Amino acid sequence: MTAYVLRRVIGLVPVLIGVTLLIFFLTRVIPGDPATAMLGQRAAPNLVQRLRTDLGLDRPLFLNVAKVRETGDWRGLFDSQYFSYMSGLLRFDLGRSIYTLIPITESLRHRFAATFELTLAAMFLAVAVGVPAGVFAATRRGTIADTSIMLLALSGVSFPVFWLAIILIYVFAVTLGWLPPSGRLSVNMSVDPITGLYVVDSLLRGKLTVAVDALRHLVMPALALGTIPLAIVVRMTRSAMLDVLGQDYVRTARSKGLSERRVVRVHALRNALLPVITVIGLSFGSLLSGALLTETVFSWPGIGRWVYDAIASRDYPVIQGGVLFVSVMFALVNLLVDVTYSLIDPRIQYS
Amino acid sequence: MRRLVTALLALALLGMASAQTLVYGASGFPSSLDAVDSQDGNSLVVSAQITERLVDFVPGGTDLIPGLATEWSANEDGTVWTFKLREGVNFHDGTPFNAEAVKFNIDRWNDPAHPFSGRDQGKTFVPWGWVFGGPLGEGNLIQEVTVTGEYEVQLTLTQPAPFLPALFAAVYFQFSSPAAIEANGVSYGTPGVGAVGTGPFKFVEWIEGERIVLERNDDYWGGPAQVERVVFRGIAEPTARLAELQAGTIDIAVLLSVDDLAAIESDSNLKVMIPASELNIGYIAMHQGTEPLDNVLVRQAIAHAIDREAIIDAFYGGLGVAAKGFIPPTMFGQPEPWPYSFDPERAKELLAEAGLANGFTVDFWYMPVSRPYYPAPQPIAETIASYLADVGIQVNLQTEDWTTYLADYQTGKFAMYMLGWNADYADPDNFLLTFFGPSAASDLGWDSPETVDLLQQARQVADPDVRADLYAQAGNNVVRDVPMIPFAHNRTLNATRASIDGWVPSPLGYSSVSLHPVTKAE
Repeated sequence: MTAYVLRRVIGLVPVLIGVTLLIFFLTRVIPGDPATAMLGQRAAPNLVQRLRTDLGLDRPLFLNVAKVRETGDWRGLFDSQYFSYMSGLLRFDLGRSIYTLIPITESLRHRFAATFELTLAAMFLAVAVGVPAGVFAATRRGTIADTSIMLLALSGVSFPVFWLAIILIYVFAVTLGWLPPSGRLSVNMSVDPITGLYVVDSLLRGKLTVAVDALRHLVMPALALGTIPLAIVVRMTRSAMLDVLGQDYVRTARSKGLSERRVVRVHALRNALLPVITVIGLSFGSLLSGALLTETVFSWPGIGRWVYDAIASRDYPVIQGGVLFVSVMFALVNLLVDVTYSLIDPRIQYS
Repeated sequence: MRRLVTALLALALLGMASAQTLVYGASGFPSSLDAVDSQDGNSLVVSAQITERLVDFVPGGTDLIPGLATEWSANEDGTVWTFKLREGVNFHDGTPFNAEAVKFNIDRWNDPAHPFSGRDQGKTFVPWGWVFGGPLGEGNLIQEVTVTGEYEVQLTLTQPAPFLPALFAAVYFQFSSPAAIEANGVSYGTPGVGAVGTGPFKFVEWIEGERIVLERNDDYWGGPAQVERVVFRGIAEPTARLAELQAGTIDIAVLLSVDDLAAIESDSNLKVMIPASELNIGYIAMHQGTEPLDNVLVRQAIAHAIDREAIIDAFYGGLGVAAKGFIPPTMFGQPEPWPYSFDPERAKELLAEAGLANGFTVDFWYMPVSRPYYPAPQPIAETIASYLADVGIQVNLQTEDWTTYLADYQTGKFAMYMLGWNADYADPDNFLLTFFGPSAASDLGWDSPETVDLLQQARQVADPDVRADLYAQAGNNVVRDVPMIPFAHNRTLNATRASIDGWVPSPLGYSSVSLHPVTKAE
């Protein structure tokens, strides 16, 4: 198993180098560069030229042939934007945002913690409600309960997140006043970060009030973000369960005289879980890459909005750092899912 | 459950204890608190409470008043300016504000070789280039800053600039503590460092993406501010900003959607805040590099075909007015009134005269983002297209990503396009030279050396009457040749809680509003 994980991690390296190349050149294929984005309407030619020089955008992208010709030294070949970026990367230096001059690693630490906390809450909701609901629906196939759950799940995947979020805010924050409209903490609350997850940190620091405040801020965004994974988990659990419940060994288990509860929970559910874990893993991975709409409406300082804004303003270092980080996370979650398979189904062996 | 109730009660109590905290709902977070290295309202509204300018605007207006400079005067031809500085003012770090500090700041913005310019590490000072033409030796206006006394500096210019004080009043040019810049280098202005100035509020902390906290500067030269703390939050969605305001979790919400005007007006907990006028303009440009837009009759026909009043009634919620020219109506230097009123019959006649009785087809590009001067670009563009269709002009509506849009309109790619402008300073120069100066040849395909010349002359003349006349002449050329159609001046909708007083909306936008006089009732 360890050897397998190690092999997978090493296998990631070429993939990630490919990712850096791809992001690097894709961001530069989009028309307009940071200089034109920054100067906006007043991009006088002399200002554009000055800004390109200041930002190093006048250097060659990939290979600096001109410099080799000029100096006769082949190492000049790598005096280019891509190789400067890569040499920084090898030192875990992702550079600074062109606009804010904040080091990318600093922003990532902060933004990823926010995204991770929200993802955990949303996925907790999706799994804790979705799996039991799916099992419930499967065991009562064709009943009103089954149909209503599936109808709800269908509307869950179809409901626009943006609208759901706005409605939640109006009902629970503005009209009823039960929950704060947006943000991560009330302005009169603060917590010294340890993990960056505010609920966890405030509990670790023994600040119950802050933990409650952080939780209250989490409820609506998690609900908005969790709806779609929840609906998917319900549908997947139900169909996997139906599949398994029809199989011979389930009939055998029943004819042995096992209780229906035991048949469903131990024999059927465990075998039905494989595809469910796959969709949970996929949802988890994609939520970790940030949730633009939820983050925007709830002013949640996650990765999605950050990278989105960076694309709009051609903030190359942020796009590169953000997308690379998200790719690594996605790959790790996939690995985790694969490892989980073998824990759940002993027939699956990695060597 | 009981524990939860206790916790909630504790929360409510904490909320009361911090009543002297003013919470400001902006539409986003600053990019930097180093004001001259930032360029957006969300940055400048925060930094302007911490760092100050030499020259300020009267609250709610555009007249100049002393800021960190108390007096200014020029030599006869306006090439050497002397600024007398406010005495006895200290930066928040205790270092003195004086002539050396002014020289340090201006040299840092102006001179790429300045030891703390930071240009080799990513500082760009983009607004410096916008307003002063570029850094030293690259088309800029400021040649040299000389310290002529403890509290007096002299600026030597590369050409006469009678409105130099207005340029320094632009919200970007805020003065920072040289000691803080020397100590922090390129990190000055980032969340870990913040900014150090002379203003009514001091920087406390900035949690990225969450909040920025400032506290009152009790030693402020203008007397301490009314509230103890200010917290800035960035809330991207106007609907969410309004919800926060209604819920009472923020005290001021800027840039709200005009669709919500009635809801705000009917809420007794809220106050609507709209400036009396605002220095912006939305326009429709016609590039003369594209046939048949090179024909002035066709451009006049287009101007006659569009009912601007009707469109403004429909989309501006009563806050906008049809523009009568390219500078706001309150400004000096007005040309003859815009003669192309809504008259589809006249438009058809002009088209026939141009030999296009059967009309033609044209690409019309609309902005992918809304701006105060175009609050709903797509529906407005669709309506304009339908007016043009009525006189036989078939319009293909087009749009693209905003950054690309801003780069492309300058290349002549767009036949017709929407764009607009928010002013940095209250002078016709900031409008007319921007639109019809040297860049008009590429932006509009309108090559009028005479107009460019008039506008360059007007920059350099001290006599206000002569300037007004030069701008009127340039404006008349625009009326004659119709390179663009002035569309609308709009005003932005902001709101505060009813308990807030002293927040005076400015014609130069929300970032120019000082929070120094703002009070919050218990």
